[in-house]
Amino acid sequence: MSGDNALNLPEDLKTRALENARQATPVEALAPLRQEALAALEGAAFPGRKTEAWKYTSLYALTDGHLAARAEGAAPEDLPRLSDYRLVLVNGRLDERHTTLPEGVSLGRRASRLEGLTTPFALYNGAALEDAVTLDVAANTDVSAPIQVLHVSAGDAPSHCNTRLEVNLAAGSRLTLIEQYLGAGPVLTNAVTAIQAADNARLTHYRLQADAGDSLHIGTLLFQQTGVSRIDSYQLMAGNRLRRNDVRAFLDKSGAELNMHGIFVARDRSHIDNQLCVEHRVPECTSNQVYRGLAGEKGRAVLNGRIHIHPGAKGTLAELSNKNLLLNPGAEIDTKPELEIYNDDVKCAHGATVGQLDALQQFYLQSRGIPLAEAKRMLSLGFVNELIMSLPDQTVADWAQPWLAAELGQRPGADEEAA
Amino acid sequence: MLEIRDLHASVAGQPILKGLNLTVKPGEVHAIMGPNGSGKSTLANVLAGRDNYEITGGEALFEGKSLAELEPEERAQLGLFLAFQYPVEIPGVSNMEFLKAALEATRAAQGKEEWDSVTLLRKAREACKQVDLDPQFLKRGVNEGFSGGEKKRNEIMQMLLMEPKLALLDETDSGLDIDALQTVAKGVNSLRGPERGIVLVTHYQRLLDYIVPDHVHVLSGGRIIKSGGKELALELEQHGYGWLTDDQNGGNDKEDRTA
Ligand SMILES: Nc1ncnc2c1ncn2[C@@H]1O[C@H](COP(=O)(O)OP(=O)(O)OP(=O)(O)O)[C@@H](O)[C@H]1O
Ligand SMILES: [Mg+2]
Repeated sequence: MSGDNALNLPEDLKTRALENARQATPVEALAPLRQEALAALEGAAFPGRKTEAWKYTSLYALTDGHLAARAEGAAPEDLPRLSDYRLVLVNGRLDERHTTLPEGVSLGRRASRLEGLTTPFALYNGAALEDAVTLDVAANTDVSAPIQVLHVSAGDAPSHCNTRLEVNLAAGSRLTLIEQYLGAGPVLTNAVTAIQAADNARLTHYRLQADAGDSLHIGTLLFQQTGVSRIDSYQLMAGNRLRRNDVRAFLDKSGAELNMHGIFVARDRSHIDNQLCVEHRVPECTSNQVYRGLAGEKGRAVLNGRIHIHPGAKGTLAELSNKNLLLNPGAEIDTKPELEIYNDDVKCAHGATVGQLDALQQFYLQSRGIPLAEAKRMLSLGFVNELIMSLPDQTVADWAQPWLAAELGQRPGADEEAA
Repeated sequence: MLEIRDLHASVAGQPILKGLNLTVKPGEVHAIMGPNGSGKSTLANVLAGRDNYEITGGEALFEGKSLAELEPEERAQLGLFLAFQYPVEIPGVSNMEFLKAALEATRAAQGKEEWDSVTLLRKAREACKQVDLDPQFLKRGVNEGFSGGEKKRNEIMQMLLMEPKLALLDETDSGLDIDALQTVAKGVNSLRGPERGIVLVTHYQRLLDYIVPDHVHVLSGGRIIKSGGKELALELEQHGYGWLTDDQNGGNDKEDRTA
């Protein structure tokens, strides 16, 4: 029975997606994007069991009917505040009561990006959008305090929402953007964030994904560095029922620099699949990626790190490091660097490892009276500590530390299971 | 406080300790000497409860409790401390954080009052000073990139803070320069008292000039083959172990027959 379902699932999802898209009632400014995305969606296929890019992530959870309904729920009253400047999207719709933005940043209820957003879910996001937010940072503006964008999902029944943020950094502008995903309940958040940086723009970007374990998330994060710009992105992610993050970056002007740092944690039965793709399309760009993953209990994590260096992209510097830690043997992490290099004049380094907690380190801590569970937590935190210490904004670090401590904490009964 | 009777132990399935007897009473300092590979570190690790170091016969009692039945952390909480021959590096966990967790756990278990963070920091700085370790080392990862001698001093620093009932020092003198040897010896001596036991594993008589032992033992082939007073260490320095091990072979046969 489940076999039949799974077989029809890609078709079912597509039928649903097209139906929803045709019935959407978007704000006017979204019409052009919607039409283009809809046309592309008609020609797209949803992933099935044999789709290579979805090898480790089954969409079986979506047979619960998430695409059949749009999420209808209210956001909780007390939303976290990580900055004075904030905007809140609830199930993809801007909640205007919360909007406060600094000078030099203007807000539009529109979206227009299509290039690079090629997955069926990203296309569906564009085709079925009813609301969206674009932030334009004016040229030569240095926005002093971070802007926090909260994507909240809320709903009691299996349902979904499309949430979308586009950010354009004009020449010489500087911005710190904190994207935070929150939510509980069986809601699938289908997210797209597209960021474009012009010459001399500088972005510090955070992506905090700590939604509850029963939520689902499929999202694309897109960086387009059309100018000589620098982007530092910090991604902190907990696994949930289904989490799939596609991160795509285009380095399109010589001298552009992209640094991505990530921590992902899959505990209990949670799942997280990271698909990274960095495209060096012009000479002399730099990309540096450092990801650390942890999985415990029956948690499952995936990282696929693709670096694509195009024929003309001489003098490219590209690095990817992904170290992973299994907290117990029942957990699983699959990591794969994928290099496509079409010229000789590049410096490209990559490394991926999966290891376990070091028995001798555990014993050393225990020999000082520290209980095993606490020793494991300390060592797990130590494994990601370097990244946490490097977070440039203290408010985010203050949020991240207790979050991680809880994510890496002991699970009831875990030790008996491991023994 | 420590009673070891006819202890047999294996490391990763390999028998190493073969009928070891040792008794340490409160207030005593024992030195254990012996050739490389004779089982000195094995003994220390068995007592501290390292994984894969398995007691296969006999018993080891600490404060009347059978060590075999206790987790390593429980042994430490009872007041057992092992200064490692090779202290372990733990990048990402700061020395201070490590001390805090260790002292919270052991002091709570021992019913001692909790130290607030100000007190803890002050005590830790004092302990660093006592072993000539720059307090900056508190901020670094545990033993991370420490020199050999710094690692040893870091062990003694921890010991001073934890105030164990029984300290096992496994070659803490190896790799120390002459000044550091005196500093460390002073640190160890400051812990000496009627309630405490100390077991020193060493290859060098020199340490015993500074920390004068009540008893000296020779461990060879997994057993104590000779015990004596502090003068035994001088004898060993002059004559080596050869005359003892020859002797031991005869002794072994005899015991095997009676066993
Ligand atoms: N994991 C292991 N597997 C097999 N044999 C081991 C293992 N660990 C230790 N041994 C062996 O046990 C014996 C005793 O080692 P131990 O470290 O106790 O010696 P030691 O007396 O401390 O020597 P040293 O003076 O060199 O420090 C050695 O022969 C050693 O090779
Ligand atoms: Mg040894």
